[in-house]
Amino acid sequence: MRVEAEKKREVVIRVRDLYKVYRMGDTKVYALNGVDLDIRRGEFCAITGPSGSGKSTLLNMLAGLEHPSKGEIVIAGKHIEKLNEKQLVTFRRERVGFIFQSYNLIATMDAVENVALPLSFRGMGKAKRAKRAKEYLKLVGLERFMTHMPNQMSGGQQQRVGIARALAVDPQIIFADEPTGNLDSKTTMEVLKLMQTIVRERNQTLVMVTHDNNLATYADRIIKIIDGKIVSIEENHKEADLEAAREEGAQKNKDCKEAAREETPQKKMTEEKESGENL
Amino acid sequence: MKFSDLLRMSINNLRRRKLRTGLTVLGVVIGTASIVVMVSLGIGLKEITVEQYESSGSLTKIQVYRNYGMGGSENEEDGFITDKTIESFKAIPHVKAVSPVLSTYVQMRQGAYEGSSRIEGLSREALEEIELGEGRLPDPSSGTMELVVGPMVAQNFWEAKTGRGFWETGEQPAVDLYGKPFFTMFQSSGAEESGKQKKYVFPVSGLVKSDTDENGNPMYNEYSYGIYTDVEILKTQLKRIYKKNPIPGQPVNKKGKPYNYYVYDNAYVYVDDMNNVMEVQAAVTDMGYEAHSSMQWLEQAQEQMDMIQAVLGGIGAVSLFVAAIGIANTMMMSIYERTREIGVLKVLGCALGDIRSMFLIEAGFIGLMGGAAGLLLSYGVSSLINKFLGSGLMGMGGGGGDISRIPMWLSAAAVGFAIVIGMLAGLFPALRAMKLSPLAAIRNE
Repeated sequence: MRVEAEKKREVVIRVRDLYKVYRMGDTKVYALNGVDLDIRRGEFCAITGPSGSGKSTLLNMLAGLEHPSKGEIVIAGKHIEKLNEKQLVTFRRERVGFIFQSYNLIATMDAVENVALPLSFRGMGKAKRAKRAKEYLKLVGLERFMTHMPNQMSGGQQQRVGIARALAVDPQIIFADEPTGNLDSKTTMEVLKLMQTIVRERNQTLVMVTHDNNLATYADRIIKIIDGKIVSIEENHKEADLEAAREEGAQKNKDCKEAAREETPQKKMTEEKESGENL
Repeated sequence: MKFSDLLRMSINNLRRRKLRTGLTVLGVVIGTASIVVMVSLGIGLKEITVEQYESSGSLTKIQVYRNYGMGGSENEEDGFITDKTIESFKAIPHVKAVSPVLSTYVQMRQGAYEGSSRIEGLSREALEEIELGEGRLPDPSSGTMELVVGPMVAQNFWEAKTGRGFWETGEQPAVDLYGKPFFTMFQSSGAEESGKQKKYVFPVSGLVKSDTDENGNPMYNEYSYGIYTDVEILKTQLKRIYKKNPIPGQPVNKKGKPYNYYVYDNAYVYVDDMNNVMEVQAAVTDMGYEAHSSMQWLEQAQEQMDMIQAVLGGIGAVSLFVAAIGIANTMMMSIYERTREIGVLKVLGCALGDIRSMFLIEAGFIGLMGGAAGLLLSYGVSSLINKFLGSGLMGMGGGGGDISRIPMWLSAAAVGFAIVIGMLAGLFPALRAMKLSPLAAIRNE
């Protein structure tokens, strides 16, 4: 039932048989317990699950922040489970953009400098990276906040700077860890919409972790993880909608799905997975 | 990352915590200042010692005497310092010049004063070592014997009638050897008629230079009491005076006849460098002569001074060491505070080496600021010491000179050392920062 064009798109992230085991004294805790996953170029992919399900661990490993205990992660043809820390840093610098829950802007730098920061890690000159940072700040709608310091901006604005920072390095994949976790529902919708639009327009791959099933429905694909295993992968297309968000703000009890415009038909495909299947 | 970017980030981080940075820098300021002041005192003591020795005689000069203890055993002539000996001294490595010293005692008279002194004949090279205050050196081609007089020779004059001179009265005799002519009488050879000694008037071509104290009186140096001329002219002059008779002061052989060459009282050996003096002196001693130099005393004194300097520097170093601990502490605290920020940098792909460099630069910058400010402070302290303690501490009266001296190399070394200490203190924290987990950035509080 998948769209044919999408099927042909190249796989950017391939995860096979991934395990992450933590030792807690004598007991072993399986944060990831055999995960197989393919993510294609240009895909907006949400990883959801209750807290402690292992979704953040998966993201950390995809972004090269943690080493897996077993299994392989291939990103753009590169086995990152084999890289040492130095190579991982290089990998992140060259290919990965990251959006944080608490924005994590550098407090001493204004918006432009924050966006330009990862470019400076690449050794790009000051004038060149400032120009590029400004372009991306415009893209996220912060023309008038270029020289604002983080503490002079609202949470939504700070997260937009965060998004611009992730985009500015022209990464192959953007990872977002609960990007709207600290925002109110209206701003959440704005930010989500912004991410969705940009990802579509620029054919960016975005992997977002969220515990909120509702937010996840705005992704192209929803990967649900429970107890370190993928329990379902849903194909899904839903536009984040500002109108809907406003309405939602007004009528808190109304179901979001009903409020959303019906112009985009929802496709749903659920793959139930046997828990032992991939072990 | 470019160095300019690293530098900017580090400095921004320091500016963010102004008070803490300031306090840490203050520690380095005190540490650097104490080292610099202590070492400057050591250097001052050392240089003052050298200057004292220099004033009592050039440090590159060795005085050579005939060794009377050994002489006379077989052939008396062996111990003589003659032109031959002078030539053999010249062959020693590092010897710049050798001068014979031929001296003769004279009586002098000017107006109501008379005095006794010694005319020393030196070689041209040796004469050139004398710094002249006025006039010029004796002209070797001149037919008459021109003299260079020391400014303190006048003190050896006394009033002819009373017999009282400078040493009794403490007053400078009204004698001006440079400005006015005076009579010179040589020692009697015993051959001429008594009471009929010939009086000579020699032109004075130069006056030895000397510094004056606050009362305008000349200050002592090694040429102050001497009268000097060219040794060759002196030889000619002596020959003219004594003809065939033996010259007083010159040795005679067993038959009471003078030798057919001049025997010098002593000789000056000039060495090319202070550091070679001891070597040359040993060579001269090996040849069977007695040799003395200021260097030999200075070397002992310098060893003591080196020790004093090491102790003083050590005292200063303790406070810089404490400051270094302060830097390490500040850096560690700053790293704990910034764990999250460092994590963000790592997630965003900041190279591990860049993170380490960032913290090293920060620590080095604390060292730089502390070092520079400490240096300024030490200049202040140093000038205060010189103003209020300088001469008193040395007990040298007016002519001591500064006791605390900060040469250029010390200034540069102090700042450089402070930077290095800062970076060393920052090394462990920087490595710690480098190893911090990037996951700290993801954690949500």
